[in-house]
Amino acid sequence: MFSLQAWIRERVPVGPEQLRELTNEPVPNHLKKWWWCLGGTPAYLFVVQIVTGILLAFYYKPAPQTAYESVRYITEEASFGWFIRGLHKWAATLMVAAVVLHQMRVYFTGAYRKPRELNWLVGMCLLLLTLVVGFTGYSLVYEQLSYWGATVGANITDSVPVVGVYMKQLLLGGEVYNDNTLSRFFILHAAVLPVTMAALIALHVTLIRLQGVTEFHFKDEDPKKAKFFNFFPEHLLTELSIGLVLMILLSVLATVLPAEMGPKADPLTTPEVIKPEWFFYVAFRWLKLFTGTLAVLSMGLVVFLMYAWPFIDAQIRKWRPNSEASVWIGIAGALAIIALTVWEASVAH
Amino acid sequence: MLAGLGASYGTAAVYATRYLYPARPRAKAWMYVARVADIAPGGSLNYTTPGGEKVAIARQAQSGTVDDFVALSSTCPHLGCQVHWESQNERFFCPCHNGTFDKSGKGTGGPPGDAGQSLPRYPLKSEGGLLYIEVPTESLEVADASPPRDGHDPCLGPHLGDGARV
Repeated sequence: MFSLQAWIRERVPVGPEQLRELTNEPVPNHLKKWWWCLGGTPAYLFVVQIVTGILLAFYYKPAPQTAYESVRYITEEASFGWFIRGLHKWAATLMVAAVVLHQMRVYFTGAYRKPRELNWLVGMCLLLLTLVVGFTGYSLVYEQLSYWGATVGANITDSVPVVGVYMKQLLLGGEVYNDNTLSRFFILHAAVLPVTMAALIALHVTLIRLQGVTEFHFKDEDPKKAKFFNFFPEHLLTELSIGLVLMILLSVLATVLPAEMGPKADPLTTPEVIKPEWFFYVAFRWLKLFTGTLAVLSMGLVVFLMYAWPFIDAQIRKWRPNSEASVWIGIAGALAIIALTVWEASVAH
Repeated sequence: MLAGLGASYGTAAVYATRYLYPARPRAKAWMYVARVADIAPGGSLNYTTPGGEKVAIARQAQSGTVDDFVALSSTCPHLGCQVHWESQNERFFCPCHNGTFDKSGKGTGGPPGDAGQSLPRYPLKSEGGLLYIEVPTESLEVADASPPRDGHDPCLGPHLGDGARV
């Protein structure tokens, strides 16, 4: 054993103490409570998605002739295929929810402010990529929702002035949904987007390590008590506990509410009632309220304002240092999102 | 050095983008529909393209030229879903975003109505008293054959008078 340790040490000249020093960082006490740890939750779910996604890819066949049947095979015939697919579906759903909650926590606590503006931008990219990876994911099943979701999504890009028509053709591999489309969605979903997300998560974590976790001060704090604790092993144990709870939750959801299969895609018939996944209800309702280009441009403006918010907020606070504008704007935005989501969920059309 | 790197990698990026961009537009062809005289003014027929899309062809005048006819696509101009005819409401309805169109294909409600959009029209021509339509000839291939649907067989002639009345 000793010789093996020496052999490894000779080739990887880093000792346990150095490793501890490299991985450790002081963590503010508030991160002992799980609801402050929502940033680690989507990262954990991302790993679940990678593992279950690789397993699903062993059987999935990305072509219109074969996709639906291969998903049916996974769901109904492959051993525990229903469970792997259920984990993948529910981890995606929870990941969207966790990313949104994490972003809201960062927003309402002002953790995006100087010097963390760049990390907010990275977080915004991760939020959008999470939504896009969700969209491309349910497009792969090749059920009615998949086909019409992809068609509507491609035509939304077509509504973007000047470049939209080219973006649509690049996305679909043709003027309309065709034999090349599904393989493009698969490559995006299984390779391009996950690799991009992994790189951005690495950048996100690196910036957190460089800047440190945002410190908050609470009224009920004991001033004599230490304000920080160690990342390793204390915070790691918190994250592992969250990972355990999530795995139990995912397993229960995948078993009790398994991923089902809708009717197979019919390119000639749009179902009388069609809805995207819940996290697109806002956009879907918005598209019903306004004409195509106006809806797309206004959604683009909202996304731009979200990206630019740290800089807009800095200007507002320069003008009025104690302004609570960001909180009220955040509450208004959250209520609007909830209202549009509930509206879309509660009506057939 | 920088110029060389930019030129070589830039060229590769342009080629990669061009590689991903579709090589050719969707194939189309002129297909026979019916004899002009077989569709009376005010009459209509349902035509099914080789790809399976339903087209409502109506004769709105009796000048004897192709201008008498319109061929309405069932693809919503908003975001590409398929509309269907609601006979009880005398309108085409798009279930995706609640777009509605009157029998001439003009947008009357929902996003297409607000934007002044109409159902797309297919090009028509008449030659020697015969009516032709230009439609896509490619369709999405699927493994298991869908159940036979009412369609147009150029050898048997069009289906007259079924489905949507426009």
